[in-house]
Amino acid sequence: MAEGVLHPGWERAMPREAVLAQEEVHRVARGEQRETLLVLLWQAGLLAALLLGWGLASGRVLDRLFLSDPLAVGRAFWRVLLDGTLWFHLRFTLLETLLGYVGGAAAGLGAAGLVVLVPGLEPLLRPFVVVAYAVPKVALAPLMILWFGIGVLPKVLLAGTFVAFLVFLNTLAGAAGVSPDLVAVVRVMGASRLAVLRRVVLPAATPFVLAALRLAIPAALIGAIVGEFISSNRGVGYLINAASSRYRTAEVFAGIFGLLLVVLAMNAAVSALERRALRWVPRGRDPLGVR
Amino acid sequence: MATLPQPRAEPAAVAAPAVLEARGVYKIFVSGRPRRAITALRDISLEVRAGEFLALIGPSGCGKSTLLNMFAGLVTPTDGLVLHDGRPVRGVNTRVGYVTQDDNLLPWRTALANVEIALELKGVPPAERRARAVAGLARVGLRGFEHHYPHELSGGMRKRVSIVRTIVDESVNVVLMDEPFGPLDAQTRLVLQDELLQLWQGSGRTVVFVTHDLVEAIALADRIAIFTRAPGTIKAVRPVPIPRPRDVFHIHEAPGFATIYDAIWEDLREEITGRRPRGGDG
Repeated sequence: MAEGVLHPGWERAMPREAVLAQEEVHRVARGEQRETLLVLLWQAGLLAALLLGWGLASGRVLDRLFLSDPLAVGRAFWRVLLDGTLWFHLRFTLLETLLGYVGGAAAGLGAAGLVVLVPGLEPLLRPFVVVAYAVPKVALAPLMILWFGIGVLPKVLLAGTFVAFLVFLNTLAGAAGVSPDLVAVVRVMGASRLAVLRRVVLPAATPFVLAALRLAIPAALIGAIVGEFISSNRGVGYLINAASSRYRTAEVFAGIFGLLLVVLAMNAAVSALERRALRWVPRGRDPLGVR
Repeated sequence: MATLPQPRAEPAAVAAPAVLEARGVYKIFVSGRPRRAITALRDISLEVRAGEFLALIGPSGCGKSTLLNMFAGLVTPTDGLVLHDGRPVRGVNTRVGYVTQDDNLLPWRTALANVEIALELKGVPPAERRARAVAGLARVGLRGFEHHYPHELSGGMRKRVSIVRTIVDESVNVVLMDEPFGPLDAQTRLVLQDELLQLWQGSGRTVVFVTHDLVEAIALADRIAIFTRAPGTIKAVRPVPIPRPRDVFHIHEAPGFATIYDAIWEDLREEITGRRPRGGDG
């Protein structure tokens, strides 16, 4: 609901009451703004403290060679940014991550839809899925490189595998939670199995799918980076690997910082999607608080 | 307080044909480990007449909801026949409307979109379904709440939306209601009973209404089918001779209320308490 808007019915209220209500709406909105600002300030303070601690520890507690320090990292980041090194490598990592992320999410969602749609498929596949999920998928990386070379494809597949499992299992969990009564009512209204999937089960599973998409962001990145670590001649994983083998710690951190920006951007995209898709979910704040 | 002047009602659908019919229906559920067979319904035969308001009443667990689910095609009888307009019900029966105890609205759809889904699934074009949904919501006093999500509505409002969603589809000639007003507070219940009667009267639709509230059954129904405790059989079907239109807020004062109340309570008491009724009627 938009800020400062009263529910229908208030136009019938007494003038004084309507004024009070309007004031109360603004007071609550101001309070929320203040709270948001306060949280932002605290977050900035916390970040500053972390960076300061890092700077102070460097060279005093731990060897500068291994720890570097915020200023050196900043300078290294600036250098690889300006000479195009970072963008050159980040481009490949970004491509692998995004292709793996989108492809894996689509595959996971499609597979979950199919499993829900076809009766009897879920119990049939369960043991296979459990085993496949339990295998550490990083162990597949050498195989992927053996099969698909050292290009972009094996990294996309690795990232996609991570993402697909998360989305697949979470969507199934969400689908299992749909009220059978709700499904029965919609079936009686004339919905086919496919219509129930599209109009009831998938929307009901949206919070689960979005949670999976959030968890999948770092997972996709891990897939791409691990692939690059093992075998490649470009990508941020390669950049980090090469820099660390030459003890250029600041450059390693600069690479990590680049990955961080990717994660932040993808998180923001998922948050925007969440705000659009989950408008219908009542907002709770403090799970243990009184309201 | 004086009784309200009531117009003479037409006799409740005396020779109307059966729109729904159960013939010698049994339902045996198997569940648990070790497996146990439990009889939910035993030899049920019941005719629901076109256009009537029929209440099903009985102790909890007597199988009245199971019978309703059979009319909706959600449960198949172990033996016997269930007919809708003379044809056996096979699979989900999409020509009935179904209102459950929980409102079962889609939480991600606004009130308007929740009403529209019924028409969407029947292939009604968007402009028409929107217009009909808006009109339907206005009929139950929800103008201005079209774009509210279910969690922004009160329990009574959500129930109104779920009723409108059911009756907005004109291909539905029977509305099945399973304790629809159970979760509401006493005042809202009365208001909704009154609104339901106004929506039903003159609509030509048939209502089968499951309840465990005897006063509610008398206030609403033309006839009341009384179930025994499990395994459920139909003990009696009694007409309610109170004329329409009825005043649900003062139904206690309607002529004949006390007589029908006492008669059905005698039927029910034995089923609920397990004791023989006092006196000799039955």
